[in-house]
Amino acid sequence: MTFRGRTSFWIILTLLLTDLVATAQTDSTASKRGPYTLVITAGGGLSYYASHLGVPPPLEQLRMSRFGMPATVRVMWHPDHRLRIGLETGWVPMYSYRGVTAGESARVNVEAIPILLVFSMPLAWLSGTERSLARRLSISGGTGAYLVQSRLRYAGTVAESQTSLGWMVAGAYTQPIGRRFRVAAEVEWFNVAATEDAAFTAQLKLVWRAFTW
Amino acid sequence: MKTLCYLSILLLSLTGCQKEYEAPVPHTFANRPGAGQFTPSVRKAIEGVYAVTTGSSQFGEQVAVKWTYVVNGPDTTHYLSVFTGTDVGYFNFEVVKADTMALAGYWRKLVNTETGRARLSIKTTRSGQVRPYRGQLAEGDTLMLDGAFSEKTAEPSQPLRLTYRRPLNTESFAILAHRSGGRTSDLLPTSENSLDMIKLASRLGATGIEIDVRYTKDGVPILYHDNTLNLRLIRKNGLKGPIEDYTYQQLTTLVRLINGEQIPTLEDALETVISNTNLTFVWLDTKYIGPMDKVQVLQQKFRQRAAQLGRKLQIVIGLPTQDAVDSYKALADKSNTPILCELDTAITRSLSAKIWAPRWTLGPQTNEVQAMKAEGRTVFVWTLDEPKFIDEFINQGQFNGILSNYSPTVAYYHYTKQL
Repeated sequence: MTFRGRTSFWIILTLLLTDLVATAQTDSTASKRGPYTLVITAGGGLSYYASHLGVPPPLEQLRMSRFGMPATVRVMWHPDHRLRIGLETGWVPMYSYRGVTAGESARVNVEAIPILLVFSMPLAWLSGTERSLARRLSISGGTGAYLVQSRLRYAGTVAESQTSLGWMVAGAYTQPIGRRFRVAAEVEWFNVAATEDAAFTAQLKLVWRAFTW
Repeated sequence: MKTLCYLSILLLSLTGCQKEYEAPVPHTFANRPGAGQFTPSVRKAIEGVYAVTTGSSQFGEQVAVKWTYVVNGPDTTHYLSVFTGTDVGYFNFEVVKADTMALAGYWRKLVNTETGRARLSIKTTRSGQVRPYRGQLAEGDTLMLDGAFSEKTAEPSQPLRLTYRRPLNTESFAILAHRSGGRTSDLLPTSENSLDMIKLASRLGATGIEIDVRYTKDGVPILYHDNTLNLRLIRKNGLKGPIEDYTYQQLTTLVRLINGEQIPTLEDALETVISNTNLTFVWLDTKYIGPMDKVQVLQQKFRQRAAQLGRKLQIVIGLPTQDAVDSYKALADKSNTPILCELDTAITRSLSAKIWAPRWTLGPQTNEVQAMKAEGRTVFVWTLDEPKFIDEFINQGQFNGILSNYSPTVAYYHYTKQL
């Protein structure tokens, strides 16, 4: 694990343990827990590759693109305390470039599939009303693996992938639109350690409170 | 909780930035051909073990001073290397002007990023009197390398004085540099397994090199250490996966090593060894699984070239695994194909390998080493980077050579060894 990955891991672990301890103290006399909710979030939007971009020097007529259209899915367990836990995956374009060398065109695309353990927390909890802004704002952080894929089209096609540790942080605003549905706008930073890739995304998401018990 | 959360985010953003380590060479080499006033006899006189009279807190009590050279066509450029016993340190000097006996260069410690400029002039001392060296030593004269060094790119101002003690140890011993001269991760000025690193190897103390051979998708033997393309070895270009999945054309066009070099073919590497260096040993480490015939063809071609040129150059195929042994056994004709076996003594004997190279962590293996040497075999040990054990192994005198990432340290302990 890299230094960056270790740091993220310990910070998230600290957050989780602190919240669990606080919850245990608060709820020690409670007779009933819940309600619990399983929330599925899916959406898409625009991504911007925010790390340095490596392009081979021999390429001429170079065209680079840092923008892409990501799509992500997140499944979260919302317990009866503030810290939520879940998994996130999706498809995040990183960058692409094309150029010509010795009269032959070359094109490279790089994208990542995150598989992350995600912790999320609304900025407010029991205080305030349902309409309070703080209750609709949330922050998320996660760590896990990225499957980074590259596709080269030059003198043939080579499609390869590499697994790397990484992390993400996100902030979201959620607007209720029904009893079980909400829409959310989320900005998210995906960071891949081994390949030094990073993408900033802005996504519109549909939030479905799938099960409650 | 809220405060903790904000603090955590702040911590994440502050610690998320990884520190980039750099050790750029602070001296720009002119690489002028020739050696100026440093004639062969002068160069021979200068080589030796020197006491560090001034500057020992930085570079240790004594150093080994040795000339090396690089050949470029009809031109030969001479360099002076100084190997210190402290922190895998070394100096590299070039001749400043043809009409002076002055040297300029840099020093570096490979265990960290410490580096700086240095300059030296050659002097003699007798009864406390210091004079410029004119190419002749009178009775009672002692050679001195007198100058200054600095930190990083500053003008050299801290005094450095080396005083001649004795000649270098001339025992036969192979100083084998890993990955063609040294590792990229040690922030050397050229990338590992590159042509430039092969040219640099002798200036880092090596008398031979180990290079890592793989095949491209279209069957070209190339030099590359790792299983995959990764940012430890290459510049960022988006390409991932095993190097064997790319053709030579794809690699040579789109992939650059960390310091901007192309991935060399084995043929170019061996050509560089013969045309540009005075290295005496090349260890072709078998990193591939599969037929060995293309490597064998190149090995034989360049052994023949070396013989025609009267070069004392051994090119051997290293067998580190059973897969490599199987590839060797599958060769139709094994004549004129020297090998080096890294496996146990029984396998080495069964293959009739002339060189046995156990890993150093197995210890001195005194009985086995003596038995193999008694059978006429050469014994190397790999990959030894610990100065304490390098010193111990060299002074025990059992092994015929050491493969190391730190050839300056092996050079220091070998050349300063007192018989």
